[in-house]
Amino acid sequence: MIRTTRRKFLVASAVMAATALSLSVMPAQAISPRSEVGVTSTAIKLGITLPMKGSASFGYNQLPGAMKAYFDYVNANGGVNGRKISLVVKDDGYLPKQAIQNTQDLIAKDKVMAVIGALGTANNKAVASAVNLGRRGIPSLFINTGFSGFNDRKAFPTSSTILPSYIMEAKMIGKYVKDTFPGKKVCLLYQDDDFGDDALVGFDKAHGNLDFAVKVAYPSLSQGVAGVPDSWITKFKAGGCEVQIVFGVASATLYTILAAVKAQYAPKWILGSVGADIGSINPATVPYIIGATSMSFLPSVVDPKDEYVTQFKEINTKYNVGAKFNSWALIGMNTAFIAVQALKAAGKNPTRKSLLAAIDASGSKFPNAALVPLNYSQTSNVGLNGYWFGTFNKTGDLVPNDTFSYTVYTTDSGTGPVDKSSYSRPAMPAKGLPN
Amino acid sequence: MRTTSFKSRAFALVSTTALLATLVVVAPANAAATGPTCDGKTPVQTCTGTTSDGAAYKMVIPATFNGTAMIWSHGFGGNTTIPGVFAVDSTAQLGPNFDGETGGNAAVVKYITDKGVAIMGSGFSTQGWNLDEAVKANAELVGIFKAKFTTTTKVVAWGYSMGGGITQAFAEQHPELLSAAAVINPVDAWNAQAKYFVDLLWLMKTWFDPSIKLSGYAPGAAGDMQMLGDVVKYTAVLKALQAGIATGAWPTTSSKSALALQAGGIPSRSALLMIGRLTGISTQSTSFDGIAGPPGAAATAWPLAYAPALATLENISELLGRALLGARDMEAKMGGVWIDNQTTDYSKQLSDEDRTVYNAGLSGNSAITAMLSTLNPLNPDAPRIKGEAAAMAKNASTHYQSTGKIKVPTVMMIGQHDPVEPAGIVQRISDLYEADFAAAKTAARKAGKDVPARNLQVLWSVTPKTWSKFNADGTPVTLVKTPGTTHTNFTASQYKLVIDTALSAAENGYLPWNGAHLSKVYKAKGLDIDRGTSYPWMKYYTK
Repeated sequence: MIRTTRRKFLVASAVMAATALSLSVMPAQAISPRSEVGVTSTAIKLGITLPMKGSASFGYNQLPGAMKAYFDYVNANGGVNGRKISLVVKDDGYLPKQAIQNTQDLIAKDKVMAVIGALGTANNKAVASAVNLGRRGIPSLFINTGFSGFNDRKAFPTSSTILPSYIMEAKMIGKYVKDTFPGKKVCLLYQDDDFGDDALVGFDKAHGNLDFAVKVAYPSLSQGVAGVPDSWITKFKAGGCEVQIVFGVASATLYTILAAVKAQYAPKWILGSVGADIGSINPATVPYIIGATSMSFLPSVVDPKDEYVTQFKEINTKYNVGAKFNSWALIGMNTAFIAVQALKAAGKNPTRKSLLAAIDASGSKFPNAALVPLNYSQTSNVGLNGYWFGTFNKTGDLVPNDTFSYTVYTTDSGTGPVDKSSYSRPAMPAKGLPN
Repeated sequence: MRTTSFKSRAFALVSTTALLATLVVVAPANAAATGPTCDGKTPVQTCTGTTSDGAAYKMVIPATFNGTAMIWSHGFGGNTTIPGVFAVDSTAQLGPNFDGETGGNAAVVKYITDKGVAIMGSGFSTQGWNLDEAVKANAELVGIFKAKFTTTTKVVAWGYSMGGGITQAFAEQHPELLSAAAVINPVDAWNAQAKYFVDLLWLMKTWFDPSIKLSGYAPGAAGDMQMLGDVVKYTAVLKALQAGIATGAWPTTSSKSALALQAGGIPSRSALLMIGRLTGISTQSTSFDGIAGPPGAAATAWPLAYAPALATLENISELLGRALLGARDMEAKMGGVWIDNQTTDYSKQLSDEDRTVYNAGLSGNSAITAMLSTLNPLNPDAPRIKGEAAAMAKNASTHYQSTGKIKVPTVMMIGQHDPVEPAGIVQRISDLYEADFAAAKTAARKAGKDVPARNLQVLWSVTPKTWSKFNADGTPVTLVKTPGTTHTNFTASQYKLVIDTALSAAENGYLPWNGAHLSKVYKAKGLDIDRGTSYPWMKYYTK
């Protein structure tokens, strides 16, 4: 039996009354911060799954290093409201089954607050379904895909993409080609899946309205089969193609270019943003893409006057030691930069719910290196919405022109027009640290 | 998991013997109940008898009987008599069997009786799809047991495969008889299970060998022989598909439409995978995880393009015999062709997710469209099955359709990639229960009452992280009984955990969720209580 003296009882009552009084004037969150998975008083844990090894890993495997570098930089400068950010990286080899396994582990074993920057349409569709992210309220943020289907808020309530949709990209290519190469025979190579489906929508009559002399769809993986890319080139040559659009993954671009060189097929190349950077896969191909057109939403990585590029390059040098500062580093660092802002906007004691709400409420205002705005809102899961066009220079870097002045286009995934963007990018916060 | 060389077991995935292994012959029905006749032995006495429909039953009662009894429902057995080919096994079963066993594994039975718990089980009066007969037999058997052993206070129903479905249906229809249930890799409701079987059989026939009969068999022994002929043909198809995995060659018996797909450059492995996706068969199997690939250049391409098709083939090989026997048995029971897929739109059975995730294996959107177009009901080269009105009406009105409602504390166990009873069967029950449970909690809170206890615990038998293996030359190694794959692939420890869980629920009125129990789950190995993972429901349901 527990016995309490009258004096002790009175003291206890007074303490309880005082506590009750003080609690009544404090915001609820401060009284009892709910312990969120992946969040402690000193740390926030995030996770990413993407190919780190294997044939699909080229370039993408540089993203986590850049993301970590930026997080380390933020951590060295006080973290996010005193919490240091860590990133758990898992290799999925670009395989859906492995991505599911990895995401399960990130959630159940590593106990991350959110997944950020995961790669690929198929992987993320599989994960969203099998891991039940939506029903469990687990954020998967800034997915590296432009598949328009992720904007279905009902199907993907806790997911968001970072890239402009492939529909937007195709619409912009359509306008660019019609404006730049009027009357030329235009041909298209595209991947025969969701990626290509989006492109076909973007090029159709109601959207980009671009006609093709020859269209070739390739099933994913067929690009690596001996002789198959040669058969594409045969069709394009026979069709008299003058402008050749490649809307495929990097390996498809690579094999196409190599087959074209072999067949002495030399059209004006328009390389979609996803598969353009073949120089990073095989530097020997750089000479073949000099002068080829492609597009980006970020400033050129060799832009000497861009403050974001300059700042990120500095961070990369110090915190991503030995890693080249290239377009992959820029993308990774920019994603981490946006993530930090989202975490800050999620409140002093961020939860998965408040993180998602913060992106909906203020994600469109997050400063970042992109030359087009983010489009996050309560009705949009889609990140960026535009591109500038440029050409590959002798070092294999995409540049807009000699003076690094950008003409940026913007559009939507619907039937809206492709316009020149009037977006004025916010200045880089002091020292590259979001307020 | 055991390993064997892929080459030396070239036909291990597919064999007529394996397809026919589930055939047994049903015992004739009796007219009246008999027994129980007990031997009076100690420390465990055995009683036998028959229920009123002639089903043989058996009871084992320890001298230390504590008032709790378990009633076992066995799995699916073929209901076709083929003299000289298959032995009759309609004997009473008391628990799960491992390879080559019958009657119930002795160690598992002893584990139960050592606790002072009695066990009973029937052989059932008929085999094949026998859910209705089995539920009646079980209800009668519980009554017989209680009349004989009047100190009985609690009864726990349990069973696997067909018996899992029987147990679920028993608990739905007779919750007043039960204190708890253990439902192990159950069949789904008949409509859903039948669609799973029929879609597989029809698609395989339609593309790969239109001469397969599948329905409209002759009555009696002549029909049995026709079905055996189909078994041989299906086996030949599976072997041809296996041989054509790398080359993409279609079976020479394929339909004209299918051969046109081949001429268009679509490999047979894509068609095989398509059949798997349209029916809902797992793309992970005992040998193929869809993750590991042979070292080198194919490390990524192999798991995407080949592994899902090979896993589908391996799973179909385990499923197809049961599916055919089930379909044939039902035709005999319904007195005619009960199947009718004239209005089925197979193109709608390919989920958006599957179209994306397996796009490479399916050879791209154009190939997907081409394959689905051949399944159009208007394609004369893909004739649909037209049911006979009387048999269809009987089929529609005869069977109890399990609701999946949880009415007594229930523990379920199922493999993630069981090819015969897909995990989606339990997923649906779990989803339905979660919705009911959430509503019950809300209602209780509104009424100021205590929140009800959670009455469903699912133990998922999970696979290793990766398991596919390859020889030095890059060929895959055939594996056997990888955890979480194949049908009814559980260990004695896992069965014991299920037993303990159900008995605890019966004793206390609620399922165990405490740390000690979770520790037991961990120690049983290979099991996971996880409400986060989601498996697709059977294709019958629109969700």
